[in-house]
Amino acid sequence: MNALALNAAGLRYDNGFTALSDITAQFARGSFTALVGPSGCGKSSLLRLLAGLEQPTIGSVTGLAQSDIGFVFQEPTLLAWRSVAENITLPLKIEGHARSEIDTRLAEALQLVGLTDFADALPRQLSGGMKMRVSLARALAKRPPVLLMDEPFAALDELTRFRLDDDLRAIWRQQDCTIVFVTHSVTEAAYLAERALVMQEGKLKAEITIDQAGRTDNFRGAPTYTEACAELSQALGHKSGHKSGAA
Amino acid sequence: MRYLVPVLVGIALLAIWEVWVSLANIPVFILPRPSAIGAALVDNFATLMAALWVTLKVTAAAFFWAAASAIGLAIIFTRARLIEMALYPYVVTLQVTPVVAIAPLILIWVGFDNVSRALVIIAWIVAFFPMLTNSVQGLRSVDPQLHDLMRLSGANWWQRLCYLELPAALPSILTGAKISGGLALIGAVVAEFVAGSGASTGLAWRIIEAGNRLEIATMFASLALLSALGIVLFYLLSFCEWLLLHRWHDSFQRG
Ligand SMILES: Nc1ncnc2c1ncn2[C@@H]1O[C@H](COP(=O)(O)OP(=O)(O)OP(=O)(O)O)[C@@H](O)[C@H]1O
Ligand SMILES: [Mg+2]
Repeated sequence: MNALALNAAGLRYDNGFTALSDITAQFARGSFTALVGPSGCGKSSLLRLLAGLEQPTIGSVTGLAQSDIGFVFQEPTLLAWRSVAENITLPLKIEGHARSEIDTRLAEALQLVGLTDFADALPRQLSGGMKMRVSLARALAKRPPVLLMDEPFAALDELTRFRLDDDLRAIWRQQDCTIVFVTHSVTEAAYLAERALVMQEGKLKAEITIDQAGRTDNFRGAPTYTEACAELSQALGHKSGHKSGAA
Repeated sequence: MRYLVPVLVGIALLAIWEVWVSLANIPVFILPRPSAIGAALVDNFATLMAALWVTLKVTAAAFFWAAASAIGLAIIFTRARLIEMALYPYVVTLQVTPVVAIAPLILIWVGFDNVSRALVIIAWIVAFFPMLTNSVQGLRSVDPQLHDLMRLSGANWWQRLCYLELPAALPSILTGAKISGGLALIGAVVAEFVAGSGASTGLAWRIIEAGNRLEIATMFASLALLSALGIVLFYLLSFCEWLLLHRWHDSFQRG
């Protein structure tokens, strides 16, 4: 059963620029897909299409109701006049959850992104990476069936990123949600996802399955991970072997 | 320092004025000394305060209605492009037509037995436009990605307005309010001038009256009160702005 699907979808912006063309892809319920590709290749556009924020100019998108989608924008996209806690709880408030439910989810989300001490801070008092984590907490607090994330960890240091990678995978396991995760990083894609879609100039260039069989906590040391990195690098057009040696 | 320096400059200027008028023997009906103006203020205190109160009421009412109607219309404009297209030229017409030219008409329409209402309407016309354009601009310039966020949260139009658009537009709205506050006062003065004798009892009328009687010191006293009213209004609105924005808005970062 697919949570989301793109059927020969294309997207042309108002200025006549064709950002996406002829994209066909399925996103099975409960799957974890990474979307990789060079800057400007249309990753954010594809995510917006999946969220129903843009309508395909040709083809079609089968998706969910927008209320079932958790979206992490490439920029933090916070309301400057609301505190961290108020930003995180706004979607829950709009959905009309009970006060107590909102409070538990808030505490949990703050804990997860490590911002419990900053609940009352205003966005302008936070660093770029902290803002991004607030945005992440906001999406997670909604506990959506589908999570669309646009380079959520790009602004974070490697240590925090590794921790959040693991947390995200745990959430995915636990909540059985469908995740589409945009990233520039080959290693992050290989570590997180079961499958990676490689994009180039608005088209899907390759689909790579990352073998999860017998996966242990120490996946970064596993040969399947190294292989996936190499395969992804090659699909992206790096010199063969360049990335796999480093990983 | 911020308050002390302008106050000292003011005192120095008044002193120079006082001395210069005495030394140059300038007649009182051309330029009275500050001390004479002060005396006129004390002598006519009750009348002037009553006049101040009348002008203040007209200004405040005009400002309130200008703000309410401009924000309301701005919200309608940003929701419905068609309505904006239909109405905008007429709003501009209202703005560019000199208010002094329409004022007599309004007085006739509203009726001379309802002068205070006519005054408020005239002042409202003067104050309305900057409030409208600033509100529209503020409501329009909300980050589109924040709109996307509201959409994905399933916000209805009312929630979108309260949670996103109005707070985001607040800095622009308050900028408009500071301009409109001053204009409401100007509008009130113009309206009183036009309404003329008997009908109006505000500060502007005191100025005309004192001028006719060559009581120049009283005229200056009224003028000083009018300026004071404008200054108080401006700083009051600036204070509101600070109150509402200093915690989060960039313009108040570091000082
Ligand atoms: N609103 C828009 N109007 C016109 N063109 C746009 C718009 N948004 C994006 N584009 C164009 O579409 C192309 C793809 O943009 P997109 O943001 O999807 O790239 P991306 O893969 O997410 O890049 P990055 O990794 O740098 O975020 C770019 O060439 C961009 O110029
Ligand atoms: Mg992008």
